[in-house]
Amino acid sequence: MTEQAPASSASRAPSSKRLEPLRHVDAGVLNIAYYETGPADGPAVLLMHGFPYDIHAFVDVAPQLAARGCRVIVPYLRGYGPTRFRDKTTPRSGEQAALGADLLALIDTLGIQRAVLAGYDWGGRAACVVAALWPERCIGLVSLNSYNIQDIAKAMVPARPDREVPLWYQYYFQLERGRAGLAANRRAITKLLWQQWSPGWPFDDACFERTAAAHDNPDYVDVVIHSYRHRFGLAEGDPQYAELQRKLAAQPPITVPTITLDGEEDGVALPTDGRASAPKFSGHRVHRIIPRAGHNLPQEAPEAFAAAVLELIKA
Amino acid sequence: MADSVDRRRRLILGAALSGVATKAFAQAGSSPPPARAPSSMRLEPLRYVDAGVLNIAYYEAGSVHGPVAILLHGFPYDIHSYVDVAPQLAAQGCRVIIPYLRGFGATRFRDPATLRSGEQAAIGADVIALMDALGVKRAVLAGHNWGGRAACVAAALWPDRCAGLVTVNSYLIQDLARATAPIGPQYEAALWYEFYFQIERGRAGLAASRREIARILWEQWSPDWDFDDATFERAARAHDNPDYVDVVIHSYRHRFGLAAGDDRYAGLQRRLTPLPPIAVPAVTLDGDADGVLPASDGRASAAKFTGRRVHRVVPGAGHHLPQEAPEAFAAAVMELVKA
Repeated sequence: MTEQAPASSASRAPSSKRLEPLRHVDAGVLNIAYYETGPADGPAVLLMHGFPYDIHAFVDVAPQLAARGCRVIVPYLRGYGPTRFRDKTTPRSGEQAALGADLLALIDTLGIQRAVLAGYDWGGRAACVVAALWPERCIGLVSLNSYNIQDIAKAMVPARPDREVPLWYQYYFQLERGRAGLAANRRAITKLLWQQWSPGWPFDDACFERTAAAHDNPDYVDVVIHSYRHRFGLAEGDPQYAELQRKLAAQPPITVPTITLDGEEDGVALPTDGRASAPKFSGHRVHRIIPRAGHNLPQEAPEAFAAAVLELIKA
Repeated sequence: MADSVDRRRRLILGAALSGVATKAFAQAGSSPPPARAPSSMRLEPLRYVDAGVLNIAYYEAGSVHGPVAILLHGFPYDIHSYVDVAPQLAAQGCRVIIPYLRGFGATRFRDPATLRSGEQAAIGADVIALMDALGVKRAVLAGHNWGGRAACVAAALWPDRCAGLVTVNSYLIQDLARATAPIGPQYEAALWYEFYFQIERGRAGLAASRREIARILWEQWSPDWDFDDATFERAARAHDNPDYVDVVIHSYRHRFGLAAGDDRYAGLQRRLTPLPPIAVPAVTLDGDADGVLPASDGRASAAKFTGRRVHRVVPGAGHHLPQEAPEAFAAAVMELVKA
């Protein structure tokens, strides 16, 4: 099941360009800011970033896909960049059902019937949620760290202690001290997590700042804190997603063709052979470990990520 | 993972040490030898005494007529932190008493209904109760981590009982009112276990993996200390105490204001809240390889010591300073005994 990816796809310094201009569209509860590139009539690919990152995780993936004829759409998640909530009373939820619903709302609004959904971290979770609940909208799935839908009922089961250590920020965010710390030190926390999660990745200050600016979003702290509390069952979800969360609580299988990627040097989610998550993928699924890549895999190993997307489009 | 821990360690130590270590080092005068492998002996036999809410198990060495030194261990350690300190003090005429803290080793609560509190007032009160039970009027109180906190509490609130204070990491009485104030993220990351213990997953994790967690903390906090499995296991056995998980979890929740204290200590905690000064003679030690509380030059805590106070940075030592640099620790105790 596990394929060895070519070693040439290892970490490298990302390009310094910005994904501009942005477009903006009302979609569900959000006004979503997104970058689009490639032919409008090409097969659609949604590239979904994670925490604490932004759309520039895909700065070197998007051009490769556009050059191969894809319509590439890279949205800012809720709480990031210029994406905004349309109503100030909407709960600033970061729960998994909300992230999935946002992605569905975006492709609805853009009139996209089916797309390859590709992401990592929070964005991989959003992609998994849509692939699981609306498979008819998903040509294929590329997901870092395999099956990402949270099993909240089991969130209080401890992991091996050496795997709990890297989750310090998740436990920190349970406290008001952690909320205050994130609000006061969002860049310093982000930089520390980048260093911990991608130990071999040589990002520079400009690369960091290009992304960190997206965390100045006024909803960032609320969405992040809610996300990390909700996944432990320690924050209520937004009632409008209660039915979706009920479906996700059953840990639904993913039936669409899938390529799962792990970074060999991922500092927060260790690389796996993919077997433990195999029962969750009932369609065709290929798993790969990408040499020398860390957790920010699309930016560290863009060729490997783009190749996975293109394989699903050609399939 | 190892890389990222090492990197964090470098960040912590790099930030803490620039510019201050050399000066503090010079204050130490004769530089003690750096960390070394501890002796393999056990501190036995133990004695037992009813003291306050506890039946305290303790090790005693030296002359019963000598000046008393009480050595207080921390988390996640045990009395063997002092395995190489105790003989030095005994050989110089001290009566050395090393109790297991509440929740550790063979110490037990006398009443099953007593709250398994780990709050600072409780561990300070336990020290005074032990002295009362043993008829010790005054003692040098020396400790690190929880034990240093217990010593600080006793020294601050009962100065007439304290001939002198040795602590690692200076003034350790917790400022609960400031517990919600964040610190630099690299320092927060080192406190992963404190945040983990706030949620039930952390309690379950500690209960299921107390040795694994303790070993990770030993390695993070004493990066240069080469302890072996037997040394670790000798201490880790003390964590099989039936009250260990409850006391530890309560301690780390109470300090963030997220667990209520035991009512019997409410009056003491009120007296600790204004962060009372310590008037007795004090020697404070920092390990310059401490992986959880970076070495300081002692200035920030100077105002809390109104008596004579000497601060030293001990080269090569981590957070487990009494076991890593027993000569430096014993020397500090002896200076106060002789003063």
